Amino acid sequence: MTAFTINGRTVDVTAAPNTPLLWVIRDELKLTGTKFGCGVAQCGACTLHVDGEPVRSCVFPLAGAEGRSVTTIEGLSEDGSHPVQQAWVALDVPQCGYCQSGQIMSASALLARNPSPSDTEIDEAMSGNLCRCGTYLRIRAAIHRASEA
Amino acid sequence: MTPQRFSMTRRAFLAGAVATGAALVVPLRLSAAWAQQAENAGISQAFIRIDTSGQVTFVLPTSEMGQGAHTGQAQILAEELGADWSSIAVEMPTQPAPAYRIPSGQMRSVGSFGIRLWHDPLRRAAAQTREMLTQAAAARLGVEPATLQAENGYIVHADSGETLPFGDLVEDAMALPVPAEPTLRPDGERTLTGRTVARLDAPLKVTGEALFGVDVEREGMLYGAVRLAPVFSADVETFDASSVAEMPGVVAVVRVPSGAVVVADSWWQAKRAADALEITFTQTPADTLSTDDINALLREGLDRTDVPITTLRGDAEATLAADGQVVEAEYSVPFLTHMCMEPINCTAESSEERTELWIGTQGQDVIRMTLERAMQVPAERLFINTTFLGGGFGRKTHGEIAVQAALASRGVGGRPVKVLWAREDDVRQGQYRQTMMCRLRAVLDDGGNITAMHIRLSGPQMGLEYGFDPEERAQATGNLANFDPFSLGGLSDMRYEIPNFVVEHAVVDLPIPLCPWRAISHTYNGFFFESFMDECAAAAGRDPLEFRSSHCPGQTRMLAVLERVAEMSHWSEPAPEGVSRGLAVVESYGSYVAQVVEARADDGDFHVDRVYVAIDCGRAINPGQVEAQMEGSVVDALGAALSQKVTIRDGRAEQSNFHDYALLRIGEAPAVSVDIVEIGSPLGGVGEPGIPPLAPALANALFAATQQRVRHLPLSDHVQG
Repeated sequence: MTAFTINGRTVDVTAAPNTPLLWVIRDELKLTGTKFGCGVAQCGACTLHVDGEPVRSCVFPLAGAEGRSVTTIEGLSEDGSHPVQQAWVALDVPQCGYCQSGQIMSASALLARNPSPSDTEIDEAMSGNLCRCGTYLRIRAAIHRASEA
Repeated sequence: MTPQRFSMTRRAFLAGAVATGAALVVPLRLSAAWAQQAENAGISQAFIRIDTSGQVTFVLPTSEMGQGAHTGQAQILAEELGADWSSIAVEMPTQPAPAYRIPSGQMRSVGSFGIRLWHDPLRRAAAQTREMLTQAAAARLGVEPATLQAENGYIVHADSGETLPFGDLVEDAMALPVPAEPTLRPDGERTLTGRTVARLDAPLKVTGEALFGVDVEREGMLYGAVRLAPVFSADVETFDASSVAEMPGVVAVVRVPSGAVVVADSWWQAKRAADALEITFTQTPADTLSTDDINALLREGLDRTDVPITTLRGDAEATLAADGQVVEAEYSVPFLTHMCMEPINCTAESSEERTELWIGTQGQDVIRMTLERAMQVPAERLFINTTFLGGGFGRKTHGEIAVQAALASRGVGGRPVKVLWAREDDVRQGQYRQTMMCRLRAVLDDGGNITAMHIRLSGPQMGLEYGFDPEERAQATGNLANFDPFSLGGLSDMRYEIPNFVVEHAVVDLPIPLCPWRAISHTYNGFFFESFMDECAAAAGRDPLEFRSSHCPGQTRMLAVLERVAEMSHWSEPAPEGVSRGLAVVESYGSYVAQVVEARADDGDFHVDRVYVAIDCGRAINPGQVEAQMEGSVVDALGAALSQKVTIRDGRAEQSNFHDYALLRIGEAPAVSVDIVEIGSPLGGVGEPGIPPLAPALANALFAATQQRVRHLPLSDHVQG
């Protein structure tokens, strides 16, 4: 059994300790907002927060979550009211939307430690999150907008 | 807006709203009489359902994969109907009925058709519904229909101040005949289209609430991972299910075409077992095939002497023999794969009696036909729930995953199974954009004008697979022979006025499966042709813009986007220090797009700073979404042109994941400026037309910077990016 907190509630899960956290969250806890994209920490679609830090959950073992606090897109806000989510909607950032949970989790972690990032700092923090729709320009603009909120 | 209005959400889905519909609903379109009338009137009420509570639901024919089709189609419907935009709902049909089919006879979301094809039928259906509601209200109020207006979900009688909500009129309206010739709203009343409206799905896509295929949950569902033949034409020789039977969570191993699905309690368990499965595959003649072999075959195609002429303008003999300055060059592009962010997946619940699927698909009818062929599933026993797609780009038009999922479900007694490919499966099981070679030869007169051009394309064709016979298509399109639209689009129909013009296609069959890739043949033909136009301009010593414009004097739309992009990029002024520019213009899917790439080249490094885009897509239904598609297309096409290729060794793809098949990352994305040129043109597409001009504009900018002409993509094989 591995015990950890997810979006404020405590859970005990029985999956093997080396199971990537992504699959525990999606298939066992049924929180499907966190996406699978590559399985090798190349695309960032599976980004969530562990104790506030952005983590690629597709390569993060369940055992690593023991006793820690995990936040997924579903726990970022109750109603989509996080400034990053609001900025994303205001600028119509999503196209297909599949990568956006991961983008938003990376962006919110960035703003939590750097409330007014420069373009370069944004590019650095977001470089692990791929988007084939090519929404990067709006992502950058939305992070600036959220930083002003 | 509340997420519950959308069927493609987790909440609605778990609540079963999709399967059962809400209580006390009198669905307008389900009345038998209405359905008959609708059929008589052609496509009509299939797109709109209004229940007695007044809830307006649009049943849309196009899958939402990021291109914004749902928002745009809903704008068209809501405006014409007079619905309340803030409360409309959207969903997709579960059976690909004729009303939802495109002219090829299938329900498919392809060809950038979302707006340009559906605008008129959707508008007509909404006008029919509005007139029926209006007539019902007129009878109720005892007034003339002409004195009534439909707005915000009500029929309004302005003179008396009476208002009747749509819901109150549904039952009366259902008894009325469907008007065959409804009157469309005048332009002055078109206030919901032609302006930027926020995407309907954006709020769902920032909270994790949007339902993609990979997110589907069913009671008792199991998970499947695949082990498929690495060589494309191979099949299973032997496999030993007992080799993984004792692994944690494993429930079954199911044989499917070209491989096996391991079914387990979780996907991770299934995936571990699939990797461990003892399985062997048949030997095939393609086992030793390599990219070098393929290139040799294509090169042979360039030199073949038995290739018929497909497209002929003017005189072929004159084309070949013309005197003057000759410009000649060979180009090539590699295979590309799709890299949809959401890997291929499908959830199926399948028995002899009934097969139900949950899938993000662009090809509902392709799935229907594939299941009919592979498993004899009759259409009336097949139900397809279309979810959001985490990218499509053409890849999700195919149906092999549906067969895998349905067989997996039957392999476990009809329990639901979600089969999901790993990224490595997604890359290696390809179905790729064609590799192609092209040789172009132009003759220029003393004034530096092209008098003749001969183009030989060499590579596979794809149309037959989609039911397009190349000889029939040649006749239908005014070509001479062997016209495969999936290979020749963008060449045979190019708009420049070249008096003697010949296109031929040496067909090279390859044992590699192909699949449309965003803008299909226009991606490479645009690169070949617009790069070569630059070569001709340079040979003539003329400015690339002036050279193009002078070769298309009668082409209003082409000239308009060229002129606009020249203004945007200050083309007539010298570029800033260290910056070089490249230009290209391509017509595709009914739209014209011109782009100017601004790039810097220092010490062998090459970097794109900014791209200017001018598009004529007719009236922009949602200008903000047109801009979004152009921005995204530039980023997408730049990533492809810079580094993407699938290479083949020992019959299999050498690439496997994002580390060796890279998408552009945020720091590499250039600034993009977009202008929409509205000159009264017919509606054109926007999902694909932004792609083709980028690669040639990029190569032309590189040439302007370095005098190096890159004729073979990707660019990173030749320069550092």
